Amino acid sequence: MQKRQTSCEWWLIPGQGMRGGAQGGEKRSRNDPLWRVEFKLIVEASQEGEAYRPVKSHDVDSFMNTLAFTYLPVSLSRFSTGLWRLWLGKKPAFLFPGIGASGPQVAGKTDSHILLPLNESDLEEQFVKGHGPGGQATNKTSNCVVLKHIPSGIVVKCHQTRSVDQNRKLAREILQGKVDLFYRGEDSHIHKVKKEAERKKRERKKKAKETLEKKRLLKELMSKELRPTAPFPPEE
Amino acid sequence: MWLWRMKPWILGPRGVKWKGGLYWASLRPVSGCRALLVTATALVNHWTQLFEERGVPEARESSEYIVAHVLGAKTFQSLPASQRSTPITKLQQEQIGELCARRLQRMPVQYVIGEWDFQGLTLKMAPPVFIPRPETEELVNLVLHEESQRWQEPRGKGTLGHQPRSYPLILDVCCGSGAIALSLLSRLTQSRVVAVDKGEEAVRLTRENAQRLHLENRIQIVHHDVTAGVNREQLLVWGPVDFLVSNPPYIFHRDMEQLAPEILSYEDTDSLDGGEDGMRVITEILSQAPVLLKDSGSIFLEVDPRHPELVGKWLQSCPDLGLSISATHVDFCGKPRFLHIRKSRGSGS
Repeated sequence: MQKRQTSCEWWLIPGQGMRGGAQGGEKRSRNDPLWRVEFKLIVEASQEGEAYRPVKSHDVDSFMNTLAFTYLPVSLSRFSTGLWRLWLGKKPAFLFPGIGASGPQVAGKTDSHILLPLNESDLEEQFVKGHGPGGQATNKTSNCVVLKHIPSGIVVKCHQTRSVDQNRKLAREILQGKVDLFYRGEDSHIHKVKKEAERKKRERKKKAKETLEKKRLLKELMSKELRPTAPFPPEE
Repeated sequence: MWLWRMKPWILGPRGVKWKGGLYWASLRPVSGCRALLVTATALVNHWTQLFEERGVPEARESSEYIVAHVLGAKTFQSLPASQRSTPITKLQQEQIGELCARRLQRMPVQYVIGEWDFQGLTLKMAPPVFIPRPETEELVNLVLHEESQRWQEPRGKGTLGHQPRSYPLILDVCCGSGAIALSLLSRLTQSRVVAVDKGEEAVRLTRENAQRLHLENRIQIVHHDVTAGVNREQLLVWGPVDFLVSNPPYIFHRDMEQLAPEILSYEDTDSLDGGEDGMRVITEILSQAPVLLKDSGSIFLEVDPRHPELVGKWLQSCPDLGLSISATHVDFCGKPRFLHIRKSRGSGS
């Protein structure tokens, strides 16, 4: 058995959003990420023909950028070994690593419209610190909830509502979507919805184009029919 | 001259913090310039700085909630980025200024904007009625969980195969703004609630909130002081209840003076002070509970973290009541906050 040297490098690259902002004044869309994390699995093989292959990059939004950094190195070590296994002959899509981490169980037939479930034991919740004695004795209005998915290191911050309870529920929903995207990559629900929307848009454009073409032809036809008609014959 | 400084706030990239606030002086228009190009973000930064200078706690949160409220949103984070960077009208700026002036007087944000959210409902808030705390949302969840459990347990002998529908009857003692009562009513669509409070303003506010949420046909609001004795006619208007839920005043009297000025100056101290060991109203409620509660019923109380032990001992010292603590639950900060009390087996009828 020939030995292989493997290493996993990760690169933090300014994303579209960061570049757009740096130029100043340019309008950026909400979906443009500020940062992108690119993983490169490097395999130095003894046999010729084998080479390294960059694994799919993963967009990290600004919140994750500030909070997830502390967790990335921890999850990366699990990541690299997982990716190594994946890369060798298995599908390049992000299947869940399943190394020591109690990730969500993937059913044999993954139903596309069902998100991967989240285990409460995998979650770590944080509320704003310094709550004091709490209860009736304090009146804090900072109801931000920070929710972390420990196996993947994904962190979600939610302050959409003024109710802590609602923010907790929303944070879980958002996190579930992100974890699903993280583990299932192209097979994830979010991705499929996006692709479906794009496909429908393309179809609509095609139809509109065809309709326009038909109208143009009809107009031409009508104008041809009208032209041969002579003006009123002069009175003799 | 300040206009060129203003530009970055309007067109700056998202997520980048700009150091320094905007001093009040620089908001005065330059002679000849009529329109003030102030964005929501700039205004929040300005008021945050002012609050911090005046020692108002939660400076950023307060200014965010006030600005968001005037712009029609619940939180600043839920405002779309485009709206955060569009100029604010003069009228809106005046409204924000008025509300922030009240906050500078240490009025709680909930009273400043006149509303607050609880379990997905938006309730009107008005001084001096007690403002619902976030911990109390968990109390509602406990009641909902218990209600769902009751109808999942396998029934004993003597019951029919067909399960009857659940029409839980709930008694909310010291209802305040009606937060607990109304959230239970909205989540349990077949339930009915009797809400009690000794304060006239609380009764009025609960009634108003019930009307706003169109729940007034399933709630009875009673103006009564539970420490003055049992009021059977009004509290038992629909019979003994399935749930007795309460967030009674439970602060130890000696801790009252340490409360923040927001609480002491604006909220009704009677809704906070629980007597020497915070037990005054709790013991009164528990003394009357056996009469008000069905045998299969449950009591849910929000208490001080020191109370589970005190309440346990007190219940043991009053065996005639036939009540015992079934479970103690923690709040989201991990402190023991909620008691689940039931009638002990073999007590009375």
